[in-house]
Amino acid sequence: MKAFGFWRGGWRTAPATIFVVAVLILVAGFGIILQNEVTFRASRDRQAMVAAQVLAGSVTAAVDFGDPVASQQSVDAFRVNPQVRYVGVFDRAGHVLGAYDPSRGRARLDLAKLPPPPGSSYRVAVPVTSAGQRIGTAVYEVEREAVSRRLTRYVVMGALAVMAALVIATLGLAQTALRRANRELSERAEALSQSNELLAEQIEERAKAEDQLRQSQKMQALGQLTGGIAHDFNNLLTVIQGSADILTRDELAEDRRKRFARAIVQASENAAVLTSQLLAFARRQPLKPELIDLSALVAGMTDLLDRTMGERIRIETSFEGTCPVTVDRNQLQSAILNVASNARDAMADGGTLRIAVSTVPSGSGESMAAVAISDTGSGMDPDTASRIFEPFFTTKKTGHGTGLGLSQVYGFATQSGGDVLVETDRGKGTTVTLLLPCSHGTAFAEARGDEPEIPEQPRAEILVVEDNEDVGHFAETLLTELGHSVTLATSGEEALELTRAHDFDVVFSDVVMPGMGGLRLSEQLAAEKPGLPVILATGYSQEIAQSGSGGRPVILKPYRLATLSQALVDAMQGSNG
Amino acid sequence: MSWLRASFLLGAICAALLAAGAAHAEISDTAVKAAFIPKFARYVTWPPPAVGSGPLAICVIGDDPFGNALDQAAASQSVDGRSLVVKRLSSANGASVCAIAFVDGSHTGETLAALGRQPILTVTDSRTSSQRGVIHFAIIGGRVRFYIDNAQAQARGLTISSRLLALAVGVNQR
Repeated sequence: MKAFGFWRGGWRTAPATIFVVAVLILVAGFGIILQNEVTFRASRDRQAMVAAQVLAGSVTAAVDFGDPVASQQSVDAFRVNPQVRYVGVFDRAGHVLGAYDPSRGRARLDLAKLPPPPGSSYRVAVPVTSAGQRIGTAVYEVEREAVSRRLTRYVVMGALAVMAALVIATLGLAQTALRRANRELSERAEALSQSNELLAEQIEERAKAEDQLRQSQKMQALGQLTGGIAHDFNNLLTVIQGSADILTRDELAEDRRKRFARAIVQASENAAVLTSQLLAFARRQPLKPELIDLSALVAGMTDLLDRTMGERIRIETSFEGTCPVTVDRNQLQSAILNVASNARDAMADGGTLRIAVSTVPSGSGESMAAVAISDTGSGMDPDTASRIFEPFFTTKKTGHGTGLGLSQVYGFATQSGGDVLVETDRGKGTTVTLLLPCSHGTAFAEARGDEPEIPEQPRAEILVVEDNEDVGHFAETLLTELGHSVTLATSGEEALELTRAHDFDVVFSDVVMPGMGGLRLSEQLAAEKPGLPVILATGYSQEIAQSGSGGRPVILKPYRLATLSQALVDAMQGSNG
Repeated sequence: MSWLRASFLLGAICAALLAAGAAHAEISDTAVKAAFIPKFARYVTWPPPAVGSGPLAICVIGDDPFGNALDQAAASQSVDGRSLVVKRLSSANGASVCAIAFVDGSHTGETLAALGRQPILTVTDSRTSSQRGVIHFAIIGGRVRFYIDNAQAQARGLTISSRLLALAVGVNQR
């Protein structure tokens, strides 16, 4: 623990610690050098002394007998040592007996005249003794190593010490730099995280602002929608209410009574178109898809389009041949008419309407059928082009358009699995392309006649299931008018009880009800009374729009008398046959 | 008074001159030999019973060329704490006490023969004799040198230091 503590402390106090260590290494290195030098000197002095004593011993006899030849021989033995600067043997009186001096010419000097050794030499003089008496002197002078050479000898050790110190210092500096870099890095990371937090806050604020904007846009669109609905319905209701008021007056002529009744019917039909378009935009209309040949459908519409477009607009069609599509025929026709009428309004001074039916490749690789409707009109600016599918958005004067036509086009196309493309060029015209997915079926349905007729039908026992009392009584009235016997149930459960107690010919049920809905009721009845036909009615059902009615006939609210009558006939024929 | 003083001065001058002459001028070969002979004793080992424990005797047998010089040299030397005395003998008779015997003169050969194999360091001089003792002086290159007959020395039971052998002009080994 202590060691760790030291190291933890060491990371903080590293520069001082490393400096101290480096200095210690240097001091130790040079201390060792100094110690070596002292030891070396002592050893060298001892060696010189030993050499002088050896000389003194070896020349005892020669000095004793004053033999210069033998003395010289003994002295000459030291020539082999290159560090020897002077060797001399002297007799008792100091006269030279033998001497060796490689450089300075002192070989013949007596002891008294011998100059003191130069600074670079070290001299030892020992007595030559014989029988305890001093009989002469032996002088031995050896070269003192030059400072530079001594330093050279220690340079390796010194260099090692310096290098060790340098390594320590370098490591220390690197460590310091690393720590500084680390600190900077952490500071930067902190700054980064701060700016990141700031950014996150800004993003959050922006998201909030966007939410608020979206909310306000939604509220604006809702306002536009509800305002549009209220406006259109108020117009229609004015007609209906006024007509109904007049109809309640007693003294009304028969022809006037019929006129006002027709006005009510007309206004109601318009209102039904309005709600169906709203549902189409909401992609929640109950579609009745059937296999359709686009080219044939468009070709069949040319007369109608001619009448709708007026004389100043020429209509061109081109059919490249395309795959069949499975869509709701009426909705498709409505969509084409809606686009065409917008094209007409864009060509106030006349022009050409082109309808081209072709097959185009789609992004997912499968081909799509395309109905491209082009005009040579005024075109749109980008802002308008981006809003044309909004419900109740219109550039037309009040009373000239509902603002729901292109919404229906968009809703129908997307609900059918297709898309709508808009290309527009200000002053040159607009092309709206309706893309619909190809279908692989082959059985084309026949177009039905437009005019509803009320078929003759046998009297039947009918169970009407409707939670809304008004609608229920209305249906009862209608069916009674058609000559049927009607029993009214206000819930699926009640209807089920009644069918168990009494045999009915047909069950006519609303789809959306609290508790048991129309679909579950019909399933239950299919299990309990397999032969009993069930007709479903709905104004809007997400369930049916999504998963269908399971093959049972569905009539849409608001329904006409003829529609209801036909459905009853079909149902009873199906159950009989 | 002045005469006394003058004579003293003269004596002092003479003494100085003599001293200078002795130091400077050629020291005679004989004096050198007289100085050498006592020194030999330091480099020679005698067999233990031969020399006893008294002073070492240096004998001059036959002629004495040294006069007082040998006595002075011997007096200034000592060997292992033993003093040296000089004895003068006319013949080999009584030489058994001698440690060193300088044999000189016409009867050198006979004297040496008479000394036989006694443990005596015999010294001879080429100046007067061709007969050689253990040490035989010669003048070579103007200097007093000597030969050493180590074989004879060993025959006499003497051991001669190698240091002395190193100084010899020639060594007769066995």
